[in-house]
Amino acid sequence: MTMLASKRLWLAVLAWGITLVMFFPIFWMFLTGFKTEAAAVATPSLFFSPTLESYMAVLERTDYLKFAINSVIMAFGSTALALLIAVPCAYSMAFLPTPRTKGTLLWMLSTKMLPPVGVLMPIYLIFRDTGLLDSQLGLVIVYTLMNLPIVVWMLYTFFKDLPKDILEAGRMDGAGTSQEIIYLLLPLTLPGIASTGLLAIILSWNEAFWSLNLTSYDAAPLTAFIASFSSPEGLFWAKLSAASTMAIAPILVFGWLSQKQLVRGLTFGAVK
Amino acid sequence: MSSTSTAGAPRHGALRRTPSGLLQDWLPRIVVAPSLVVSLVFVYGFMLWTFVLSLTNSRMLPSYDFIGFAQYARLMENERWWVASTNLVVFGGLFVALCLFLGVVLAILLDQRIRQEGALRTIYLYPMALSFIVTGVVWKWLLNPSLGIEAMVQGWGFETFSFDWLVDPNMAIYTLVIAAVWQASGFVMALFLAGLRGVDDSILKAAQLDGASLPRIYWRVVMPCLRPVLFSAVMILAHIAIKSFDLVMALTGGGPGYATDLPATFMYTHTFSRAQIGLGSASAMLMLGGVLAILIPYLYCELRGRKHG
Repeated sequence: MTMLASKRLWLAVLAWGITLVMFFPIFWMFLTGFKTEAAAVATPSLFFSPTLESYMAVLERTDYLKFAINSVIMAFGSTALALLIAVPCAYSMAFLPTPRTKGTLLWMLSTKMLPPVGVLMPIYLIFRDTGLLDSQLGLVIVYTLMNLPIVVWMLYTFFKDLPKDILEAGRMDGAGTSQEIIYLLLPLTLPGIASTGLLAIILSWNEAFWSLNLTSYDAAPLTAFIASFSSPEGLFWAKLSAASTMAIAPILVFGWLSQKQLVRGLTFGAVK
Repeated sequence: MSSTSTAGAPRHGALRRTPSGLLQDWLPRIVVAPSLVVSLVFVYGFMLWTFVLSLTNSRMLPSYDFIGFAQYARLMENERWWVASTNLVVFGGLFVALCLFLGVVLAILLDQRIRQEGALRTIYLYPMALSFIVTGVVWKWLLNPSLGIEAMVQGWGFETFSFDWLVDPNMAIYTLVIAAVWQASGFVMALFLAGLRGVDDSILKAAQLDGASLPRIYWRVVMPCLRPVLFSAVMILAHIAIKSFDLVMALTGGGPGYATDLPATFMYTHTFSRAQIGLGSASAMLMLGGVLAILIPYLYCELRGRKHG
């Protein structure tokens, strides 16, 4: 018995030790944001007098808010658009499957396996000719296209698990299509749609390949801002940490509030 | 044709129902079509376009003067391209292998019914929810010789400690591996943990009764059950490795020199900074070819094996 208990303790200590290592970089960035620039480059130490100086500097001296608003518009805009297209599609695949449904899904998913550089050039050229370069609309379109296969796939796995008898029972009771949607489908599917939407928001929020390539200033989201901040002004660690912390804060809060959906979403529905 | 011309005359019943009946039949396909068409055109259509561009001598602007495979020949002679390709193999291989190893170990650890497992799981997963840009920034700081880990350990009294991979051209590629593994191993853990929970307890009990040791049970009994999980983990990790671009941009910027270039950053530099659209497109196509050469046999084996098994 005592053997088992001590083994258990060791395992717990080990698990928490690894947790510290995993969390340390995020924690360190968080701390550095509250230091002065001088303290940030001094010998690393946990003890310092916290200051909001760096946060103030980022908010006042850069267009941080503008980039944050861009991020919000693009993440939510592209997610709404992707859901609008994907919900009917996934619904039809889950409830009215044809022999070709599986193949269609696989084809759509296969597009996610290919590197985006392969399609960068044409999109860049089209965007340049149509004036979509460095525009919010342009990135909303690209993010929608980028997330569409995953959104369809996740919604499909959610919808497939729904009990189909309920819908049939509703139809038997004479529910019209609109009633069926409002009273039966919506309450049943809302959790799935919400967590799929959450995943799409996180993916768009974090995206950097397209935002670095297709925006310069006007439509740049936070990822592009932080990337540009880190190259020429590499010495302003405290400000960079403050900006990064503000950029990931929503994700960390979202993540904590919706742990289960996050796991399911990030593992593409493999973990329920 | 004749049926449409008679449709003008209102014949009740049959004809009024037909359009809506037709709609009922076609609606499922109509709602599926946009997603399918859009993703296929967006990816496969545009890849074809990239291929066409790679056969031209486009520089700053796309031109359609075909010069055959000359761009590919130029690419083969480009030393920087070879550095980038080798880097992708080294980075991708190490990244996938280390993530799988750490992920499995962490999953087995958490499978021992540790308290607060939910919180631990979320913290392990947190890095995956971050942008690679932020990961790059954090690790750039930690790996910076005069600021991060090196300075910290030296501050503890180990004056000779040195950890300057970030600025060492021979070692810089491994800093990318460290940061990427940090980001993704918790995610692999979540995949495998879910798989472990799905393994039938009675198999484990039987193995225990036969006197098998715990490591042996995991290696011989549990792991074979997790083949599908391994498959999806490898697919997702390979996908992450192949599209790695933002991490390089944020952590090393391809440097020192071009020591940490990956094909994606190679293409970025040549297309946008050096106005070599043709060459950039050729590099994108080669990268694509490499991906297909690895993925298709693997997919084929796995899916075939599964059908028989």
